[in-house]
Amino acid sequence: MPWPSKRRVIGTKVPRLDAPVKATGRAKYSFDINRPGMLHARIVRCPHAHARVKSIDTAAAEKIPGFRAFHLLVKPGVELLFAGAEIIAVCADTEEHCEDVARAVRVAYEVLPHLVKEEDALRPNQQGTLGGNDPNVGPGGEFATANFDAQAFQNVAHTVEARYGVPVICHQCLESHGQVAEWDKDLANLTVYASTQAVPLVAGQYAQYFKIPVTRVKCITHYMGGGFGSKFNPGPEGLAVAELARKTRAPVKLMLDRAEEVTVGGQRPSAAGTVKIAATKDGVVRAYEVDCYGSPGVGRGATVNMQYLPYVYSHIPFIKRKHRVVRLNIQTARAMRAPGHPQNCYLTDQALDDLAARFNPPIDTLQFRLRNLPPNDPDAAKNAPLSYLALRHTIYTREIEIARKLSQWDKKWHAPGADKGVVKRGIGMALHTWGGGGGVNNDVRVTISADGSVLCQCSTQDLGTAERTVLAIVVAEVLGLEPRDITVQIGESPFGRSTPSGGSTTCPGTAPAALNAANAARDAFFRAIAPRLNAQPGDLVIEPGRVVNRGNNEGMPWRQACARLGQNTSVGTGDWTPGLSLQGVGGVQTAEVAVDTETGVVRCTKIVAVQDCGLVINKLGCESQTAGGVIMGLNYALFEEAIFDRTTGRQVNPNMEFYKLGGIQDMPDIVVHMMDMPERGVIGIGEPPTIATCAAVGNAVFNAIGVRVPNAPFTPDRVLAALASRKGNR
Amino acid sequence: MNDHTEPDQPATGKATNGNGMSRRQFMKGSGVAAAATALTQAPLLEASAAQPAAGEVPGMGPAAGRLTLNVNGQKMTTNIEPRVTLLDALRNYLDVTGCKRVCDRGSCGACTVMLDGKPVYSCSMLALEAQGKPIRTAESLVQGEKLDPVPAAFARYDAQQCGFCTPGFVVAMKAVFEQNAKPSPAEVERGLAGNICRCGTYEQMRDAIYALCNQKRRS
Repeated sequence: MPWPSKRRVIGTKVPRLDAPVKATGRAKYSFDINRPGMLHARIVRCPHAHARVKSIDTAAAEKIPGFRAFHLLVKPGVELLFAGAEIIAVCADTEEHCEDVARAVRVAYEVLPHLVKEEDALRPNQQGTLGGNDPNVGPGGEFATANFDAQAFQNVAHTVEARYGVPVICHQCLESHGQVAEWDKDLANLTVYASTQAVPLVAGQYAQYFKIPVTRVKCITHYMGGGFGSKFNPGPEGLAVAELARKTRAPVKLMLDRAEEVTVGGQRPSAAGTVKIAATKDGVVRAYEVDCYGSPGVGRGATVNMQYLPYVYSHIPFIKRKHRVVRLNIQTARAMRAPGHPQNCYLTDQALDDLAARFNPPIDTLQFRLRNLPPNDPDAAKNAPLSYLALRHTIYTREIEIARKLSQWDKKWHAPGADKGVVKRGIGMALHTWGGGGGVNNDVRVTISADGSVLCQCSTQDLGTAERTVLAIVVAEVLGLEPRDITVQIGESPFGRSTPSGGSTTCPGTAPAALNAANAARDAFFRAIAPRLNAQPGDLVIEPGRVVNRGNNEGMPWRQACARLGQNTSVGTGDWTPGLSLQGVGGVQTAEVAVDTETGVVRCTKIVAVQDCGLVINKLGCESQTAGGVIMGLNYALFEEAIFDRTTGRQVNPNMEFYKLGGIQDMPDIVVHMMDMPERGVIGIGEPPTIATCAAVGNAVFNAIGVRVPNAPFTPDRVLAALASRKGNR
Repeated sequence: MNDHTEPDQPATGKATNGNGMSRRQFMKGSGVAAAATALTQAPLLEASAAQPAAGEVPGMGPAAGRLTLNVNGQKMTTNIEPRVTLLDALRNYLDVTGCKRVCDRGSCGACTVMLDGKPVYSCSMLALEAQGKPIRTAESLVQGEKLDPVPAAFARYDAQQCGFCTPGFVVAMKAVFEQNAKPSPAEVERGLAGNICRCGTYEQMRDAIYALCNQKRRS
């Protein structure tokens, strides 16, 4: 069954169902779970960026009052590759005693050389710091279109060659990683309250680890306090707490503290490099060459999405790219909200504006983008007419036009640096794309009871995406009810399969499943009550709040109809099916800034975000997600950076006072426009809106001061350095 | 970090004071030390079970002692060590979990509660200091199903996503309105300057603020 063509609830603004319990502190997150007799655990970590463990002595720690148990995570002799690496988990009766125990564990180390800065690792003949013969720098991929070297820069009018970079940043989930684990008396069944983005997956991982049937593991995540791609598995801390719970036969809680959350809870990898870009005299980009590198920490793998460089403008005729992976003695990268895309966007969109500025007169960067938009793909238009490839030119053209009006672009844009005065204003733009499709393995179950109540269950999790409300909206639409009439239960692994919340796939995965389940429940309901109404099931239809028999045009209120179920309930189940969701969105953002050229302070004053996401389920939730993505992107542009000390190899800002995140007074006016394209089906919105913001702000700063600040975040020192480097001060 | 939360007992110059420990030992370190304290072999509270030495001021602890707090109009009693922060006392010992532990060092505001009618970072004060003073958390801002206007506005305008910072923001905002019945939106924002949200709900929070101030936000 397709989406209803007339939609009463879907696409409206529905306040999230769990808002009241969240706003009054009654929602219980994993961090808030207190079980009777619960013990506390924490992890002793390596303070050195690279060291070999010589010995672990727990004799003194075992004498601390309240001590209960240890769980060793590494053995003496092991080489640890970053500050924060796990050594031993300790457990005590109170958190205070647990800290005492942790502090009393004596670990001896042989300290080894480390590298925590990309530029240090890139020095020629640099000795490796990863153990064995593993080099710090390795290939991350190379590609060139045919005849690039011979032809790319022929017949071009303007060429720009410049360096750009974005730093390592940290996830900074406000609810840190962690779990409460509890075994039953005979140690047969495990219950885990986990702060996770993947409830059934985590249950399965515990089952595998402990070699018990997955049916004996219950993972519960009713509420979770922030996940941006770093919470897909139990982690060493999660397995350790379950081990300690088994050893002590008591519930145990282990939530990372802030320093741990920042230093081991996940990082978005850096990306930096040289871009060479050229255009013909008509302002058409002919060549894009990038030689870049980035650090996934001790992890492996590229830090940009190689196949999407240049970003969005993938049709540029001559493309050459090279990437090097710089492994450093810092925590491994984890997927963070549109992995690779903000970096790609930055390495593309900054260069584009620098190129437009080379023309005389400089080309308006909005017009420059319109001139260089990728065309709608004619093959895709034939085979998949609703796909991103088939529609991208149409989507971006429409979105740019909307953004032009909402940002008053024509009034605000000026030649770079043309604004007079000490505080200079500027405006910039950037474009992004993302997938965001749904898929199978999302079980939704809808139960209609004789008292008229409706229950919707799915094991999926709500990361702050209003997922509960998404399910309620879809079920309410089908059953002629209001979202608040639907009881939604999520975040428990026994409810069945659901896909991890990554890649903006949760809404497009579960909303179609909820539609199918609600349709099935309604059909079962009609079959059950039709005989009692002397009707055929096919004659019954739902109208808002009513069930109507088309045979005689008689209707009755919903609850009265449900009462005909007697002792029965009507149950429908559903999974995702094709045709109800799609993937592939475009987005356009503009940013306005005011740059104080005396202090170097950049203030962002307005951001316009125009975003498509196919069929909007909850307009309020979509707008919140989009504004939230913009704000995360703004933090990336102006505040966030994981700073590492070259000497000790430690992060110097594993906290929230020196790792900066914007507060409400730092926020610009944010104008969100959802470009509804219901014919495309549901597409996820979590990731795309955070991609373009940093690049748009960077371009706005360039537009304001007429000189490029090459590295984000655009802090006062970097802005002043860029201004000072400008030749021939205006 | 606020110095006014230092305990009154004079430090002895050693790592421990008359109570068997100093604030430095129990407050969660500064900078890199936050990680380092748990990692290095800093001498552990040898005195954790020791009695006060002769001549030192007798005080509470280091063992747990009885403590009563007045939380949301209810007297709540528990046994805690004197080093326990108000935040940890509420969360770990009294199961009042609306105040959240996030930065645990007075930067993010997730732990905000009202103490004697004023918003405070409960992570940066000892539970001992809160004795005898009324403590209010976000949980107090609902009666049955009826929400106080502040959380009601958060709900209506969708000013929360994951919601982990939200109770702290709600309490801080409630405090603004209790101190000034008719604040301007800018004054409300100033009252929230000590709170941080990671999901990025500030835009929707502004909608809530303007509504609570009876002002129209956009034409």
